[in-house]
Amino acid sequence: MLSRVAASFYWLSRYIERSDGMLRMLKINYNSSQDTMKEFTWEPVIRIFAGSDEDETGKLENNSRAVLKHMVVGKSNSNSILNIITLARENARGVQEHIPKDLWQCLNEYYHTVKEPRLEKALQREDPIGVLDVLIKQVMLYYGTAEISMERGEGRSFMNIGKYLERAIQSVDILDTKFGSINDNPDLLTDTSYWKHLLLSLGGYELYLKTYREGFEASNILEQVVFNTDFPRSVIYSVNNIQRYFERLKTESNLEDFREMSFQIGRLQSHIKYSSVKNIEEEGLSLFLAQTRKELYGIGNSLNEHYFANS
Amino acid sequence: MQESAYFDKYSPINGVWDEMYGLDANVRDHYRKVIEYISGESADDLNKKEELAKRLFMSQGITFTVYNSGEGIEKIFPFDIIPRIITAAEWTFVEKGIKQRLTALNLFLKDVYNNQFIVKDGIVPIDIIYSCPHFLREMYQLQVPFDIYVHISGIDLIRDHDGTFYVLEDNLRTPSGVSYMLENREITKRLFPDLLPQCGVRSVTEYPTILYKNLLALSPRQIHNPTIVLLTPGIYNSAYFEHTTLARLMGVELVEGRDLVVKDHKVYMKTTTGLQQVDVIYRRVDDEYLDPLMFNPTSMLGVAGIMGAYRKGNVAIVNAVGTGVADDKAVYVYVPDMIRYYLNEEPILKNVPTYQLGNPDERAQVFSDINKMVIKKTNGSGGYGMLMGHAASEQEIEDYKLEVLKEPRNFIAQPTISLSAAPCYMQGELRPRRVDLRPYALFGPNGIEIVPGGLTRVALKEGSLVVNSSQGGGSKDTWVLA
Repeated sequence: MLSRVAASFYWLSRYIERSDGMLRMLKINYNSSQDTMKEFTWEPVIRIFAGSDEDETGKLENNSRAVLKHMVVGKSNSNSILNIITLARENARGVQEHIPKDLWQCLNEYYHTVKEPRLEKALQREDPIGVLDVLIKQVMLYYGTAEISMERGEGRSFMNIGKYLERAIQSVDILDTKFGSINDNPDLLTDTSYWKHLLLSLGGYELYLKTYREGFEASNILEQVVFNTDFPRSVIYSVNNIQRYFERLKTESNLEDFREMSFQIGRLQSHIKYSSVKNIEEEGLSLFLAQTRKELYGIGNSLNEHYFANS
Repeated sequence: MQESAYFDKYSPINGVWDEMYGLDANVRDHYRKVIEYISGESADDLNKKEELAKRLFMSQGITFTVYNSGEGIEKIFPFDIIPRIITAAEWTFVEKGIKQRLTALNLFLKDVYNNQFIVKDGIVPIDIIYSCPHFLREMYQLQVPFDIYVHISGIDLIRDHDGTFYVLEDNLRTPSGVSYMLENREITKRLFPDLLPQCGVRSVTEYPTILYKNLLALSPRQIHNPTIVLLTPGIYNSAYFEHTTLARLMGVELVEGRDLVVKDHKVYMKTTTGLQQVDVIYRRVDDEYLDPLMFNPTSMLGVAGIMGAYRKGNVAIVNAVGTGVADDKAVYVYVPDMIRYYLNEEPILKNVPTYQLGNPDERAQVFSDINKMVIKKTNGSGGYGMLMGHAASEQEIEDYKLEVLKEPRNFIAQPTISLSAAPCYMQGELRPRRVDLRPYALFGPNGIEIVPGGLTRVALKEGSLVVNSSQGGGSKDTWVLA
């Protein structure tokens, strides 16, 4: 497979996964903003998904509609849904003859839905949850189509590596931001709705209720989001999948590149697998997360170097 | 024939050949079945079909990009649902004519890049060739496989008021539009179920197969699975959709310049498992951008060193480099002479009378008759930079004259040819609009093959004679009857 094509698969997939995470986050946060008597702050969401431009954040953080506009259709925000889906589509265009026609059409439709001028108006005037749901449905349609139509080959492996890498990074970022806020405001530690929303935005609320009977405990949440191998948005679940799809890339001709990266992924996997909540709490959560993030970025860089011929 | 509201309301344009409307004010035989078919449909049904066609194009991303005022806008290529129909007899004539013309043009290219007999024998003046920007000295004595230069051509034909076919231009570089020939047919199958077999329409689906077979035959390495790639300028190119379609239909790799490298005069593509040698390149990148070491040094679309590999015979390039000298509009004038010179035959297809503005006498005549003339740049394409004398304002004409006088060699003039008209479905009725025809000829080691069909482009604006997609033109499915 052409290196450029592999890279396009990878990025296409990262952008789609990012849009999925963002849309869910926006939906839950908007919902939460309707629930609160105090002034609702969007600052963490903006920090996770749009970088930390202090001025911009300050202007937006308390205005839900403005945040939604900035995050969904904001032209100046390089990480808005509009911009990342445009990039996803460009990547798909570059590999159009490698992806099933159905999948291309699906993505094309997602793009046209986001571009539709009506969407921006609806986001400003109508029920934003309805609008976000329309977009979330497009992502689900994409994942369903990819699942049933993608050839089980190299291309799909690169797609899945991109998907799980993006997801792992997102989970780490969300944990970092949410737990980080506690340092500034210890009251949050006992704020049930704070934790509930964190779980909801990761789609892990129901699983949490089934697993833990004693209410919302920071350590339990940490356990689920980092270590639960059955939770599809946990860090370990994503890393296991990165490893799983990477193993499929093994061929005779690039054994050396393969071994080097396989080692790198294995190291991260073991690091998480052989930790525990207790370890992390002793070691310091932010240090653990920083290290995990660094390793994840490292995997991205190695792919660039060894497989995408961008060295 | 049965009553047809659509046909009765149709009013052909005076003094113009109409593809459907016969001289006896009746439907020509070969259009009869189609007219009968649509007579059974209400305007509502036809509008729905039109809508369906648009939806199919949009959802499949069959779009092109128009560059105007610096911004690229994605558009659907307008499609008219009524097919353009060509009879078996007309096709046989066109096919013979194109084969003859292409054979001569190919011989001309071989000659001009080798011994130049045609110049020495005084048939084509040397200055016409050497002043052509597409004549590339880099091609001098470079041997191409099977002496084939023009593997793919799209010769544009038009019909005068009496139905005579003329060649408007020879597109011998990287003619585009063939994906529309294929897609238009797919859409027609959906719009008019069962009508194609009833009318006995010949299939066009063989095109990618023939092209692939020809590409395969060019491989310099005698191995069972040579690597064939289609080189595209990338996703921002207006014909990108076509590049992906052809790559998909032939099952070849679609590459960009940055995917290729040259090492030891061999071309390789960068893959996830290392470098893989490339044998045949169907390139959709213009000569000028192909190799920054030889041509435009700022080109990011090409591959450094590719011409070296080509000269060594380590890679085949399709179409050959430098074919632009044969479709230059100043050289066009000499094509009938080439046919006589190389083949000792009379040209089957006629040239449109053409004046070279480099010649002072002809220039004076053109300027005095400018209202009846179309002036074009000799190396232009896409309908850009031409002057339609009958439609231009005084000021436009004066400005254009000044432009011409700067470099007269770069301009030619032709009398306004009326172009035949074909019925188009617009707002509930049939209206005549001007059309041309671009059949695609494939030249392989076993000769020239032309898929029965082509691209019919149509000037959708009333009275317009410009069919280019960049100038408000659309297309039609083109039927060749068995």
